[in-house]
Amino acid sequence: MPVDFEITKEQEDLKATVREFAEKYIAPRAVEFDEKQAVPPEVIREMSRLGLFGVVYPEEYGGLGLDPVTAGLILEEIVRADLTFSLAVAYLVPASWGYVAYKYGSEEFRDDVIRKAAGGDLWVGIATTEPGAGSDLAGISTTARRDGDGYVVTGEKAYISGVREAREKGVWFELGGGHVTLTYTDKSKLHRGMTLFFIPLTDPKISVRLEKEFGRKGWSYGSFVLDSVRVPEKYRIGEEGRGFYIAMEGFDHARAYIALACAVGGKRAIELAADYIKQRRAFGEPIATFQGVQFQLADNWARLEAAHSLAYRALWALKMEQEGKLGRFEVTKIAASAKLFAVQAAKAAIDDALRWFGAYGYTEENLVALAMKAVKSYDWAEGSLDIMRLIVAREVLGREYVARRR
Amino acid sequence: MPISVVVLVKPVVDPKAVVKFRPDGTIDRSAVKLVVNPYDKYAIEAAVQLKEKLGGRVVGVAMAPPHAADSLREALAMGVDEFILLSDPKLAGSDTLATSYALSAVVRKVWQKLGGLDLVLCGIESSDSNTGHIGPEVGEWLDIPSVSYVDSILEVRDGAALVKRLIEGGYALMKVKLPAVLSVAGTSYQPRIPTLREVLAARRKQITVWSTADVGIDPSLVGLAGSPTRVVRMWRVEIKRRGKIFSDSDVDKVLEKFFEELRRDGVSLGA
Repeated sequence: MPVDFEITKEQEDLKATVREFAEKYIAPRAVEFDEKQAVPPEVIREMSRLGLFGVVYPEEYGGLGLDPVTAGLILEEIVRADLTFSLAVAYLVPASWGYVAYKYGSEEFRDDVIRKAAGGDLWVGIATTEPGAGSDLAGISTTARRDGDGYVVTGEKAYISGVREAREKGVWFELGGGHVTLTYTDKSKLHRGMTLFFIPLTDPKISVRLEKEFGRKGWSYGSFVLDSVRVPEKYRIGEEGRGFYIAMEGFDHARAYIALACAVGGKRAIELAADYIKQRRAFGEPIATFQGVQFQLADNWARLEAAHSLAYRALWALKMEQEGKLGRFEVTKIAASAKLFAVQAAKAAIDDALRWFGAYGYTEENLVALAMKAVKSYDWAEGSLDIMRLIVAREVLGREYVARRR
Repeated sequence: MPISVVVLVKPVVDPKAVVKFRPDGTIDRSAVKLVVNPYDKYAIEAAVQLKEKLGGRVVGVAMAPPHAADSLREALAMGVDEFILLSDPKLAGSDTLATSYALSAVVRKVWQKLGGLDLVLCGIESSDSNTGHIGPEVGEWLDIPSVSYVDSILEVRDGAALVKRLIEGGYALMKVKLPAVLSVAGTSYQPRIPTLREVLAARRKQITVWSTADVGIDPSLVGLAGSPTRVVRMWRVEIKRRGKIFSDSDVDKVLEKFFEELRRDGVSLGA
């Protein structure tokens, strides 16, 4: 396996452009995202104009046709400028779930929805979790029943990102958005009876409720209730009964991007804290001089470097899968490993970095404190850390060692 | 009426980069990334806006070593259609007189190729030498009018341009016969951040490298030989001045402290 971390001229150009944008439009306002519990719509409009919501879709559907590694290079710049991770969510969720929806969606769906998503006119989210089921996805109760030329969906999805941005047309996105939603079309078949649908949250028959999120406050979080909502057949993503498996693929994308966001966010937190400890003096010296602090910094940095490399390996694995060179389960194992490792590395680094600030850092205006709240969400978001452990163990040990459902 | 615009662009050492100095005090340019001179971005933006409004073509012209080509991609992404990069070891050491001569030779050839020319736009100065000479000098070499410190180009019509020129304490409206050289000040033309699609497309746009022979440049008028300017010595300027902040909720008290400080430093405050 060749190992090459060199980036191409095109990737360098893209990164430089996104950095310029992020430094100008995002970084000065990141604290405001959390404070106001919203990303200013003009920031999202500008991201749409740049093409940031269309990077992974093929050019024939209005995207840029970039691979997951390149999409990751762009994500780095977004995270560095916004440690609340609000925009990381805004960017990586559609890059993962929009891509999977494109891949398995019908031609009619691609023409109708993906084209608009690629142009930044519509946001694509993910809805699997319910009040009664998260890690145990087979425990969901949302059902889709065939009815004439479509389906009727009933159920409730909870703790879902982007419900407000998808619900409200013409604010963040011209057409609002919708969520790739996991349902049962045949509950008796458990995992093999699940089906995914794209459900536009702009449908007035859907009721949406917002939660007050602990971190990542700039991107909304809440639940929606589907009370016999009609969904056209063209919005079905993949075949009936394939929903669980397609969702697992989407999770692999999201986990690889999350691992990268955590590694980069952790590094940025260390950098911000480093600036501070070089200035802050105690006992007659800058506290950066103290080896007690330096050793913490070095251990954290080394873990973040490892996480950073592993995240790119996961993104590279996704790219290899796209090129038909790597199998599904291998990709899943690497992506789960990346998330498992990077989230913990970032949490530990940010915890230490925040400690170096002392009392001065314990405010809602300190980006490192906001990063701590954000990264905490990845204990569970897009698959809990214990589920990551189960996946890695399953892939290493073999399926016969998977604990059975009781 | 479609418009033909040449925009002069200087690749400079990235002002955000940490610069390394050689022992003789000169900047080690090999080690640093080159970028488009930030002042030129306003001229690029002005040129692209004119093209968007009137149609036509924007040709970039730069003079730099071949490896500077990469830095021009940014200008291409912003909407410049193609670039001519004048690159020749003979040009090394050129001062502003020699540079403006060489650039004007390129502009003249582009003018011929396009079969006409309306405007030559450039930044008001460069971030690495800040002379502000190039625009007016190119105008002289081409024997066409030039206007410096142009805030905005209000109208291009009937062989003339109406421009708003910044002057101390206000601005002047000037009508200038075309073709003309305008050095654009960074006030009205906020440089756009190109879309990612434009960034990718820029890699497919043409950058043509010309040598001095390609444009018929007289070698004795460029390089060190053609440059009356002599760099005798380079040294780092150390700024010893320090800012001081006077604070008080009462403005009069702040002013009192300020004047007291000036008097102590022996500054004459007049009557």
